[in-house]
Amino acid sequence: MATAIELRGLTRWYGKRRGVMDLDVTVQEGEVFGFLGPNGAGKTTTIRMLLGLIRPSAGSATIWGLDAWHDAPAVHRRLAHLGSDPGYLGEMSASRLLDHLGALRGLPAGAWRSLAERLDLDPGVAVRKLSRGNRQKVGVVQAFMGSEPLLVMDEPSTGLDPLMQREFLALVAEARAAGRTIFLSSHNLTEVERACDRVAIIREGRLVKVATVQALVGDHTRSINLLLDRPAPDGTFALDGLTVLSSTGQDVHLMVRGDVNPLLRRLAGLEVRDIAISTPDVEDLFFRYYDGSVAGSDGRVASEAAGASVEAAR
Amino acid sequence: MSMLTFRLELRRSRLVAFWLAVIVLAYGGTIAAMYPILKENSKLLEDYMEILPKELLAAFGMSGTLTDPGVFFSTYIGSFLWPVIAAMGAIVLATRPVAADVDRGWAEVVLGTPLTRTRSLVAAILGQAVVLGALALAAPAGVLAGGAIVGAGFDTVRLLATSVVFWLFACAIAGCTSFVGVVTLSRGTAAGLAAGVLLVMYLMNIVAELQADLAWLGDLGWFRYLAVTELIDAGVLPWASVAVFGVVAVAGWSASLVVFRRRDLLA
Repeated sequence: MATAIELRGLTRWYGKRRGVMDLDVTVQEGEVFGFLGPNGAGKTTTIRMLLGLIRPSAGSATIWGLDAWHDAPAVHRRLAHLGSDPGYLGEMSASRLLDHLGALRGLPAGAWRSLAERLDLDPGVAVRKLSRGNRQKVGVVQAFMGSEPLLVMDEPSTGLDPLMQREFLALVAEARAAGRTIFLSSHNLTEVERACDRVAIIREGRLVKVATVQALVGDHTRSINLLLDRPAPDGTFALDGLTVLSSTGQDVHLMVRGDVNPLLRRLAGLEVRDIAISTPDVEDLFFRYYDGSVAGSDGRVASEAAGASVEAAR
Repeated sequence: MSMLTFRLELRRSRLVAFWLAVIVLAYGGTIAAMYPILKENSKLLEDYMEILPKELLAAFGMSGTLTDPGVFFSTYIGSFLWPVIAAMGAIVLATRPVAADVDRGWAEVVLGTPLTRTRSLVAAILGQAVVLGALALAAPAGVLAGGAIVGAGFDTVRLLATSVVFWLFACAIAGCTSFVGVVTLSRGTAAGLAAGVLLVMYLMNIVAELQADLAWLGDLGWFRYLAVTELIDAGVLPWASVAVFGVVAVAGWSASLVVFRRRDLLA
């Protein structure tokens, strides 16, 4: 499988202000890669370097082996881009705008039509008269209307209503099924969890985690609610990685990190009336990384066994 | 050059071009309509002009009698209307493709496609040249139209030939403004700087005419070269003006292209 995107020590400073530092990421062809972080974490800076709009201060960004800055026109022939809050020309109608952008990408007029119908977008309306959500639909249509092998999207579903978000996720799934690679920056955790194969979490310009969504969710804390017939004997829950969050004797709320088998063996000796185990979603994990409980104080990346392409920061 | 981008530039310029053309045509036509009245009352007018200092009149382009077509055109159009229109048109158009479009995010949208920076900016520059050319043609066209109605008898070819000098003057402003816009990526800064420098050069030209020992100041600005009186009266194209404005325009736009290719596009 070919490498679609490769960031090596990618760093960008804005004068003395931090942009991103030492990003090492490899995205494989056909992968949907989520780039997760709050506003100001460095997601847009990274995407601008990928697009060759700004130059790295150090390191490199390559797409299909081509340097994102020096070979930008060649790179752009193989990618479609959707920026966060794209600055479309308000006086143009959506149809004219999409035709123009399509023509720049070598697409025939009206290449957007089926997607516009699918997203319930009125193409005849001037862009400035569209709501935030409808403008975002224009962006989604623009990104998906071609067949470029790479899609780079910066917070693509912002402003979309839940129905359209679902449609967006369906489009991502279809693109993946067609073998296209997707680099998706977002702070919408649910979207990333549903859409992506792997996720990178970026904090204050540094990568703190790169892993598959399954690995992120699977290796982490489980929330367990127990309803017991009678209070458990003292020491029952004295296990490594287990925290008793609350207990009224019979009603116990636990958090377990890692292997759950030791706990299950203890529970086998109790009269359990009811048990509810829930896995944390990406949101829980995200906040955990932002609490600083996983990444070291130097912010170095925590890399998981999530495929050979996961790179730990130096 | 991208024809798509060129056509879009023209489309985006149509409102600016339309309203500036309306102003130029209306003002030129109205002024031209007064020309026969000035001619009929030339004695009265000359007596009145005698009262005013010659230097002051020269500072505003009136070197001779207003009944002379060249002086008349230079006074009302060349020294007054055209500098204002050219500055407005050139600054609006030249600050848009890079400074304004980076700021609004449009540059990121189009430069995320296979369109290269060079092709994008070349198309925008050609768009500027075409629109400014149309406005430069409208300036004498308004005078010719108004003059034709009242039978002023202007020389059509010579008046239209002034468009060449006017066009290159506007292109010089656009070229330099484009360069400042690419360097600063700020429409406000680029527009303010261009307008400020033009104003200073205009004042330098006035001071140079008023104060003999400061005549050299006029050579430093562009307005001394915006002279079309001889062209209209004697049919002599001011090659020095054509060369100065042409070189400045090409240099400004070329520098813009060079800088734009290597510039970080950060709003």
